[in-house]
Amino acid sequence: MHYWDAMSDKTDGKMPNLLLISAGSMFTSMVVAGFLVGYWLDSLFDTQPFGLLICGVMGFIGGARKVYDILMKMPHECK
Amino acid sequence: MGTVEYIQHHLQNNAVCSADNINPATGLCEGFWTFHMDTILISIALGALIILVAARLGKRLEAGAPSGFQNAVEGVLDFVGQQVRDTFPGKNPLIAPLALTIFVWVWLMNFMDLIPVDLLPLLAQMVTGDPHFHLKVVPTTDLNTTMAMALSVFALIIFYNIKVKGLWGFTKMFLFHPFGKFFIPFNIVMTLIEEVSKPLSLGLRLFGNMFAGELVFLLIALIGGTLAVGIGALFWAPLQALLGLGWLIFHILVITLQAFIFMVLTIVYLGMAHTEMDDH
Repeated sequence: MHYWDAMSDKTDGKMPNLLLISAGSMFTSMVVAGFLVGYWLDSLFDTQPFGLLICGVMGFIGGARKVYDILMKMPHECK
Repeated sequence: MGTVEYIQHHLQNNAVCSADNINPATGLCEGFWTFHMDTILISIALGALIILVAARLGKRLEAGAPSGFQNAVEGVLDFVGQQVRDTFPGKNPLIAPLALTIFVWVWLMNFMDLIPVDLLPLLAQMVTGDPHFHLKVVPTTDLNTTMAMALSVFALIIFYNIKVKGLWGFTKMFLFHPFGKFFIPFNIVMTLIEEVSKPLSLGLRLFGNMFAGELVFLLIALIGGTLAVGIGALFWAPLQALLGLGWLIFHILVITLQAFIFMVLTIVYLGMAHTEMDDH
């Protein structure tokens, strides 16, 4: 069972709906968080600029994936 | 004072720091150990106001059909309680009081934005006798406030993640989520990014919305302040009043919505921390 499915079941589907209000900022903050984590990893392992670039891309992919997951949890009548 | 100086002056906090943290070129405080006294004092004063009003109201509670202020407070309590019941999957006596505190405190801090932008700084300048006295009256237009609140919520998220799932359960979340057991290094980095994004999205959203709202108020204030010269004032001053009123009415919705979003996302993130995750 997916992480959000469990939450959705326990809250009658209301939890993913409420997360929708932050879908936009969730995506952008994932990209920013990716760059931050990459910057930190670079300073830790002295690998500039690869950590920054790879984690930035991972943040982008993760953000898109997260928003897609939340949108797919929307009730059918709202889609 | 020109337009740029006016805006810069209004967006400058009343900062206190040691002498070696003062930038000699600008004369302003810089560096980590800089305290924004206006942010600290106003947010503490608003927190104290909540406690004071709650304590006074608590002594005068009416049984049966409440009226007036008690009715309004009960409405807010019911609203927050319903949100927690609807969206929080587990049982935790801390969540509802936390959500209520966040909602009321953030709303009150946002509400400071509705006070005319020049009123309190002007009063402070008159009281202190310093014409360049800085006073930024909206604590949520200071990134320190919003990120401090977001990081406090983040600390609670980590605490409850470890408490509910156990240290191994929390570690498993990093190791096997979201791509399964064959991509452990990617999973660790991806989950780390996901977790870091939570306080970022919480803090930056509130700060961004309130800062932008404050800036629009400043720009509207400039219409009458800089353009109303001579006969032109007959046109620009009423326009400023009209735009100011319009933005103020719209902003009542914005401040309430931002307080609501901060509260709801806190409940949802803490709800996630209370939910056991199955292995992939």
